[in-house]
Amino acid sequence: MFPPVPRLGSLRVALALGCGATLTRADAAEVPTDPRTAAKQTFDQKVVPFLTTYCAGCHEKKQKGGVTFMYAKRDPGSPAFRSIWKTALSNLESEAMPPEDERQPTPEERAMFAAWVTGLKFMSPKDPGAFVIRRLNKTEYGNTLRDLFGADPALANSLPDEGSGAGYLNSLSPVLMEQYLGIANEVLDAVLAPEGRPPTAIQSSLQAPGQSLRRIATSLARRAYRRPPSEREVDVLLQVHALAKNQGRSDPEALRLLLKAVLVSPQFLFITPAPHTGTEPLPEIVPLDDHQLASRLSYFLWATMPDDELSALADAGKLRDPEALRAQVRRMLADPRSRALFDGFGAQWLGVDKLATKTFDAGKYPEMTPVLREAMYDEARLFFADIVRENRGLTTFIEADFSYLNQTVAAIYGLDQTVTGSAMRKVRFTDSNRGGILGMPGILATTSFPNRTSPVNRGVWVLEQVLGQHVPPAPANVPSLEKQDRKKIAGLTLRQRTELHRTDPVCANCHKILDPIGFGLENFDAIGRWRDADEAGGTIDPTGELPGNQRFTTPHELKRILARRSDDLCRNLTEKMLAHALCRPLEGYDEVVVDDLSKVIKADGYRMQTLISAIVTSYPFTHRRTKE
Amino acid sequence: MILLQNRPMNRRTCLRGLGASLALPWLEVMARGKTAKPPVRLGFMYMPHGVIMDHFWPAGPDTYLTSPPRNLESLRGVLDQCLLMKGIAGVNPAPFNGAPHALELSTWLTATLPNADRRNRVDIAISADQIAANYIGAFTAMPSLELATMPQTHKENQEGLHEAYYSHCSFSSPTQALPAETNPRTVLKRIFQSQDLGQQPALRRTDDPLERSMLDLVLGGAKDLRTQLGEADRHKLDEYLDSVRSLERRIAAIEARQAEAAKASAGVTSTKRSGSDSVPIPVMIPEGDLRSDYMRVMCDLTVLAFQTDTTRVSTYIGSTPNGVSYPELGFSDQHHSQTHHNNEAEKVEKVSRITSFNIAQFAHMIHRMHSLREGEGTLLDNCIMMWGSGLEDGNRHTRANLPFIIAGRGGGSIRTGRFLTGTTGNQGDLLGTLLTCAGIPLDRPIGIATKQLTELS
Repeated sequence: MFPPVPRLGSLRVALALGCGATLTRADAAEVPTDPRTAAKQTFDQKVVPFLTTYCAGCHEKKQKGGVTFMYAKRDPGSPAFRSIWKTALSNLESEAMPPEDERQPTPEERAMFAAWVTGLKFMSPKDPGAFVIRRLNKTEYGNTLRDLFGADPALANSLPDEGSGAGYLNSLSPVLMEQYLGIANEVLDAVLAPEGRPPTAIQSSLQAPGQSLRRIATSLARRAYRRPPSEREVDVLLQVHALAKNQGRSDPEALRLLLKAVLVSPQFLFITPAPHTGTEPLPEIVPLDDHQLASRLSYFLWATMPDDELSALADAGKLRDPEALRAQVRRMLADPRSRALFDGFGAQWLGVDKLATKTFDAGKYPEMTPVLREAMYDEARLFFADIVRENRGLTTFIEADFSYLNQTVAAIYGLDQTVTGSAMRKVRFTDSNRGGILGMPGILATTSFPNRTSPVNRGVWVLEQVLGQHVPPAPANVPSLEKQDRKKIAGLTLRQRTELHRTDPVCANCHKILDPIGFGLENFDAIGRWRDADEAGGTIDPTGELPGNQRFTTPHELKRILARRSDDLCRNLTEKMLAHALCRPLEGYDEVVVDDLSKVIKADGYRMQTLISAIVTSYPFTHRRTKE
Repeated sequence: MILLQNRPMNRRTCLRGLGASLALPWLEVMARGKTAKPPVRLGFMYMPHGVIMDHFWPAGPDTYLTSPPRNLESLRGVLDQCLLMKGIAGVNPAPFNGAPHALELSTWLTATLPNADRRNRVDIAISADQIAANYIGAFTAMPSLELATMPQTHKENQEGLHEAYYSHCSFSSPTQALPAETNPRTVLKRIFQSQDLGQQPALRRTDDPLERSMLDLVLGGAKDLRTQLGEADRHKLDEYLDSVRSLERRIAAIEARQAEAAKASAGVTSTKRSGSDSVPIPVMIPEGDLRSDYMRVMCDLTVLAFQTDTTRVSTYIGSTPNGVSYPELGFSDQHHSQTHHNNEAEKVEKVSRITSFNIAQFAHMIHRMHSLREGEGTLLDNCIMMWGSGLEDGNRHTRANLPFIIAGRGGGSIRTGRFLTGTTGNQGDLLGTLLTCAGIPLDRPIGIATKQLTELS
């Protein structure tokens, strides 16, 4: 097992970091048992003086090198400052800081600081995060129109592309509002028959004979708002209807205006809680109501509104039972709509969402047609879906011996003699270098430059996306490979030249892990084809060694080493998916939540559905903070 | 009437004041907007990663017009309409030195660093274009136009900063990043809807005249909902309320325009356009995916929107700081990777060509504006168009002399045809001065600004 990147320094600290329990036991005599109090106390009593003694001279007001602890000290537990603390630790570890000619911390002080950085998460109070009413994103909005009115979801295509999940901005601008109104018009044109023509199915269902207008408006609002509407909310719709009637409009026209009002209402465009009717102000933290929970779950797994079964459970008040939630997760994941989890989350996680638009050198890689890009995307999608559907262990992502191919993408594997036709099907590989995300063409292509592979990018990708480590950007002014001393590099291969990075301590910290991984995958070219020689004709040397004497000679062996990191993979995927499910970046307290979830998932053999269920039943998913 | 007071106007306040009965005061504002002098418009266009300084800055004030540097070749013929100033410093990046590309775009129109205590949120400052939109936006159907070439979906969090900082430059409030439109068709449709230009019947407005009254009722319902929400939710719902009010205002403006057009076609002379004004330019939406075609149509749309006075403020993020390639130039390397050139000739050449390419699209817009008559002069005479980058040298991430081109005379407030070398000032000074030139009073300096740059006039 090799330790994660920012913790490469001494064995002592690596041990302390890798195992929080050791630390607690060692310091048991003086540390309060509640880890939160302990972390706060350590910060005030030890970390602050440590910073004052060794760092403040340059990194307070002076902000030397742009680094200051001024802000981080005010709210040390905030996730905003996690990278500052981690960078500080790795600089301390690599002895880059404090500078040689300054006073140096004692080994005990170094260990104290390192231990405190691991315990950072305990600085935050228990908090589900503010679940601010959330606007449906472009995909969700289109799908909801489809489920509500049978409208073509492509009607939403004119909306601007926007991030989803953790990076979702949830903002609304006048321009967007205007587009919603325009789309409402298009939807109604598409689903309502023109005056004098027989009514469409939607119209008939809305105007079932004998129903009062209030009944119609109520049932419409129930579906469109994804919760029972209040009396007042129905009144507004009736007023809109009356407005049209008073202007001499026909019944169908008045109904059209009512529908339009529904489609531009905040209750439709946003996921809103049922109106709070009590006289007492809301407590600071409340559980989500059943309908809000149904929506959150449905938009997470399906990117659309809750279906009848989910709605009925919410109406019956049965959804907050964790067992009921888990049963719904299983049911929903078996439904084809769950491909939304890949399109919204999986594709982003694996980076293949960029495939369609990424630039490739057309002269060098004429194969990268839209058809191939789509096949690459579908391969990743079906592979992901297989792991979800079959509830496989997470290491399958790395170790699988199968994938889904059609002839187009099989050509990249050199398997187009056996896999023919355009239909995707499951294929088992005999070549153990293939299989899993590290041998998957779409992913190998997204981590390449337009005209060649990038071992560094691939290494960073594996560390960040697979193992969940934060790789700091290269410091400015690092000489690129080409700039290295000509004499020094004469006669060296690209690999040997890159390895020169590792002789410089500043670079070595990261590159001694990045480079072996990246070069271990060099047998795959920039679009994922196998090759034995690079473009210059030199034989590719895929052997390498990772810290901890872990040697490998093939991509297959590299995968095997990485697959042993199941705890890191699990934690990483849990963090990323939780952030996606919550539509916000993770905050301080979430780290404790992730700890707990990871334990549950591990106990069940790191299975994919267990991970998803654990997220859905977690505290931040089922609760919300009402104040900002 | 608060709208007409001579002080900076916060659109949010003014809209709240107007409430539901919008039509009348709006028309009054419209009437006030029709002064004899054509209005001044403000446009911004962005390119990331800085420039090759020797290829961008003119050799000297004397040679600026006769032998411009290679990056400015495309501006030949309109250089006398442009002003270059060397010595405008960007925002000091500390404590965000590790996130140069998140800062270059987000500080460009704010001249402000993100809030260091809340860096994982959007929390920066209202941007100069939006300050302008709050003021002169009240006179037009669209308060401002935000365009971009790339979708704003980049994911990166250097220094713990929120990813929105990588792809947004317009902020309508410190905490709200404004999304930009990337689809030229949508933009064209909006301009036509506002204009009733008559030549595109298919795009003519067909909406229900009851729409505005319906929105009023929906707004009433939303206010009910608001009283029952928690504090955090209320804040979010306010964005909705503001957006709907803005939409109502726009519909009112469109109705006013349509009424005016009806009068004009009935033989009653319209006060809006003078006889000497050019006819609206034709805009063709390109079929292929050539970047130059795409950028040019976005520039044309800006020209059209200004020419028809559909808006007076525009921002165009011509390129974002990540993952952009220019295959059209014959190489597929990404812009960013080439800017770390370490003075290697091949990369320097590529960066320079990318810069020339971006400036050429800007130049296309400027030439076009210069060719259109308006009032006594040209459209360009009444514009202030700024092209620029948030870094000076992408190789070293420096910001001491940010590259800027200012085109247009701002209705006579800017003296063009000059290259000024002795300027000392910062980005906030420049933005504030440009706003002042556009007649927008400021109640506080923009970001790090300390003064007005008197040398512009």
